[in-house]
Amino acid sequence: MNEPPRKPDGGSRVAELALGQGPRSTTDPDVSVLVPVSERPDPLADLYLEVAGALRDSGRTCEFVFVAEPFNLDAVEALRPLAESDEPIRVLEAGHTVGESTLLKLGAARARGRVLLVLPAYHRVVPEVLPALVEVVEQGADLANCRRWPRHDSWLNRIQTRLLHSIVTGLSSGHVRDVGSGVRAMRPEVLRELPLYGDLFRFLPVLALRDGYSVVEIEGAQHPLDARLRIYGPGTYLRRAIDVLGLFFLSRFTYKPLRFFGLIGSALGFVGGVILLIMFIQRLGGQGLANRPLLLLAVLLFTLGVQAVALGLIGEIIVHFNAPSRRAYRVRDTAGEEAEEPGGVDGSSEKAETAFRTGV
Amino acid sequence: MKATALDLSIVVPVFNEVENLRPLVHAVRQALVDIDAWELLLVDDGSTDGTRELARSLAQDEGPVRLISMARNFGQTAAMQAGFDAARGAVVVSMDGDLQNDPADIPRLLEKLGEGYDLVAGYRVDRQDTLITRKVPSWVANRIIAWLTGVSIRDNGCSLKAYRRELFDRVVLYSDMHRFIPAMAVATAGARVAEIPVRHHARRAGQSKYGLSRIWKVLSDLLAIKMISSFRNRPLVMFGLGAAIATGFAVVFFVLTLLSVPGGLREGMAYTFVFPSIVLVWVTLAVYLLLLGLIAEVVIRGDRLSRDVPLPVAREWS
Repeated sequence: MNEPPRKPDGGSRVAELALGQGPRSTTDPDVSVLVPVSERPDPLADLYLEVAGALRDSGRTCEFVFVAEPFNLDAVEALRPLAESDEPIRVLEAGHTVGESTLLKLGAARARGRVLLVLPAYHRVVPEVLPALVEVVEQGADLANCRRWPRHDSWLNRIQTRLLHSIVTGLSSGHVRDVGSGVRAMRPEVLRELPLYGDLFRFLPVLALRDGYSVVEIEGAQHPLDARLRIYGPGTYLRRAIDVLGLFFLSRFTYKPLRFFGLIGSALGFVGGVILLIMFIQRLGGQGLANRPLLLLAVLLFTLGVQAVALGLIGEIIVHFNAPSRRAYRVRDTAGEEAEEPGGVDGSSEKAETAFRTGV
Repeated sequence: MKATALDLSIVVPVFNEVENLRPLVHAVRQALVDIDAWELLLVDDGSTDGTRELARSLAQDEGPVRLISMARNFGQTAAMQAGFDAARGAVVVSMDGDLQNDPADIPRLLEKLGEGYDLVAGYRVDRQDTLITRKVPSWVANRIIAWLTGVSIRDNGCSLKAYRRELFDRVVLYSDMHRFIPAMAVATAGARVAEIPVRHHARRAGQSKYGLSRIWKVLSDLLAIKMISSFRNRPLVMFGLGAAIATGFAVVFFVLTLLSVPGGLREGMAYTFVFPSIVLVWVTLAVYLLLLGLIAEVVIRGDRLSRDVPLPVAREWS
């Protein structure tokens, strides 16, 4: 079959093409371990042996799906000897750099396991905790996030992420305390259905929570190799801060942008307006205006406020015209006359009938 | 989804209303004895008090009751939209789940709808709510909505309304738009709207879910609804008006500049940079608003290109 060329933003398109997998068979593994291989991975063969050992010890069958960016093919090449010796390793190589969110989408579309275990390409937590994480999902949670605790690294590592982490924790109403671990088990549907792009993969548990999936966090001891001191360039910290700002805006204001822009705009406009009013009264009292630079500031603040509100109105127009083609809710299940039982299973199983998906 | 067509769907969003659920189903059943093919859609909006479990058993045991349970608490607008999306009736009635509305009013709503309206809104007479926190803000809000949108509805906050199902091909609720359904229906679908008085009872059980805190949200939503009801098809006009006003201010300050430069009409006034700079600020704003208006046109054009936008509802006679 001749595949059409991949578009730069074609994450979902790629996933769509890939979804042509047959019905689930009895030989499907219990767990699909999904590892996006992006920047600076640890040696993947070690990671594989460690994790596969822990999962097998718990009596589960597993497959490993490594999804690699094209600039990182050397790292996955190291897996070839293992794959050739019949270890359950599958490697997907993206045609061009697509970003980690799309790598995850691609892997989720191809994975065959009943539970998806997403691991970063680094040693984050001790492998012994992974079976427990998978079990949380097997027992009914939609997503289980692993918090690195207790931690062994220096306070310097932790302090640098403290601020942003606490904002994210707040956005998740305290449900997600370590969004940075990246170690997550989930039902495959969660990753397949969540709209994920750009850097949003970092916040997967928060996004899942906001879409109404059940999210549980359990603790697992930090891996000794994760405890090394990490100092990043200033650009990295800036990007993280921007990511969190984006998450904050999207999770609160996706459907009501004017509430956000309107607040900023009216605050600016109010300050400018008050200054203008005072100066106007002083003008009536005989004081000249032409030699007072404060007037410029007041007008500038006022017009900035107008600009913010105008941008909010643009946002509202976009939301209004997008509304017919999307729904801001997700239905868990239905009951009653002619309700199709999802998957024909007993009514207690909480399989989401997802006719619609939410914004963020 | 709409495999079997029914006459009537009643959509009731419920959030933590476990005590009111059985009486509600009972009251609806009594009110609709004369109607054959109806269904009651209970939309559970992430309740935590057992409403969902009770609604599920009601849906399984009792005739035309269906349950849609939301994955979490998405809010009243989303819950209503979920109900509208699942409704199969030719007519849809929305109602509160707290029994403050009286299902016995439904036949009268249907009767009014039959006179050729697309939407019939109830307004509560003898309202059983506190004066300061509920009735006064509501009265003010209704007046402002009427003034801004030109759609005069006495009681936007009353959930008891009847709609023709074609409306929902044209109107999709989002954000907190359930308060503005009539205005939205008129603006986007050209709906004919009527009002009739309905009864209102004091809360029998459970907690009220509203408070004064929603005022700021309503104000922000009002601005959005004003824009959508007046300018949704021609945003460039709105932004152009803004740009014209900004240009007006620029002209004012330009004149002030001329008046204040040395050798101008009023000699002796100090020449400064202040007025010329302000002229530039206003000009910048005008250009910016015009460009934003063009972006808005692009958004609308994209919408029209990407889907078949349904024409407004219209009556025909000969």
